Amino acid sequence: MELEVETVIKIAAYTGSGIAMGLGAVGAAIGEGYTAARANLAVSRNPKISGDIFKNMLVGQAVAESASIFALVIAILLLFMDFASPSLLKAAAFLGAGLCMGFGAIGSGVGSGYPGGESCFGISQQPQAGSQLTTNMLIGSAVCQTPAIFSMVVALMLIFIDFGNAPLTPTWAAFVGAGLSMGLAAIGSGYGGGLAAGASCEGIARTPQAVTSVTTIMLVGQAVSQTPSIFGLLVSFILMFKTFPESSMLATPMALLGAGLCMGFGGIGPGIGNGMAAEGAVRWVARNVEHSNELMRIMLVGQAVSQSTAIYAMVVSLVLIFVV
Amino acid sequence: MEAVKQAQKKITRLVLTLSIIVGLVFIITGYKPVGKGLVLGAIFSVLNFIFMAKSIGFKFGRSKGQIFSISLGSIIFRYILLAIPLIAAVKFEQFNLIATIVGIFMIQLVILADHLLTFVPSGGGKSI
Repeated sequence: MELEVETVIKIAAYTGSGIAMGLGAVGAAIGEGYTAARANLAVSRNPKISGDIFKNMLVGQAVAESASIFALVIAILLLFMDFASPSLLKAAAFLGAGLCMGFGAIGSGVGSGYPGGESCFGISQQPQAGSQLTTNMLIGSAVCQTPAIFSMVVALMLIFIDFGNAPLTPTWAAFVGAGLSMGLAAIGSGYGGGLAAGASCEGIARTPQAVTSVTTIMLVGQAVSQTPSIFGLLVSFILMFKTFPESSMLATPMALLGAGLCMGFGGIGPGIGNGMAAEGAVRWVARNVEHSNELMRIMLVGQAVSQSTAIYAMVVSLVLIFVV
Repeated sequence: MEAVKQAQKKITRLVLTLSIIVGLVFIITGYKPVGKGLVLGAIFSVLNFIFMAKSIGFKFGRSKGQIFSISLGSIIFRYILLAIPLIAAVKFEQFNLIATIVGIFMIQLVILADHLLTFVPSGGGKSI
């Protein structure tokens, strides 16, 4: 059975759309559920301020939902867009876009649930710090969304950019690899950023006077946690925009697919590890504000070491792209 | 639940006012599809937020099974709701796609902007 190009494109677009929305819904649902669970605990501890807790939960869940709305946007585009110049390469780009957005929304969705939940619980402990907690939660949740935004950008590029006369083989593998590199690498960074943001809400509830130090360390910790997803973005860009000569060998496309998988999987652990280092620093700064400088230094050294595995993954990805 | 209602009212009022003003500016300056797309996206963003807030109160005093069904139904319904402006923007040229996408994130953008604008100058003042 021989398939027409348009049929192959439709198959790729529908599959990509399903993957984008199916996986994209996972993270946000878990994150929102965690927020609601902590809000329940908070109301049971301090039922008198249940209104404030619900209000905070609603705002937190609305922000945590962003990752799945990004996925919805990509899924709808893949389902309903009409494309002028159909080619088999476009089919690979659509599949890559779906994979990129689907995986890329998981970490941010789960991660942004942590600050939501911890701020609800924090309000039950320190009702007078409610406004500070909500603001800190919103900043933390917004930063958590960054890897999902990177994923959406790569997915939109794969959908809309006209890659001209690039050869089908090995470029198809480069596009799928680009999606995997960004999408998978975003998981760890989104989740790790959430750990830091959750700990900062817990810290502010414990010591509201430490809000400046806690927020500063949270932001620094989150910024470093985002690095593996930036590596993923870099490898995606190289895979999308480097011109690869036509090849009939199977090894060449597999090397490009391997590059995407290597950076994608290689970015998950460091993202979570960096988040754990930031979570520890933020939590203890709230208990020991006068030693915040030492705590930040230890956090940064720990994150640098944890980051090294992402750098190894990036080096191997670059070797697969440029040398093999 | 009064606090939730008040917060919901304030956020939705801000989103609608802001999107209508910005949308009108675009329409007057000749960027009609951009203005229409922004307002369309923002309206559905507000509807999604209202249903999200309403579903919290609707779940009280019900059995576990009923809560599960309501939650699942609410999520599916809200995603379908958000898909409507996107499909309209993809299918009809009267609505700019990018502006519609920005519009469906108006609730999140306004929540963040409101908190940051109130919090930064006052050093931790009261917001929504």
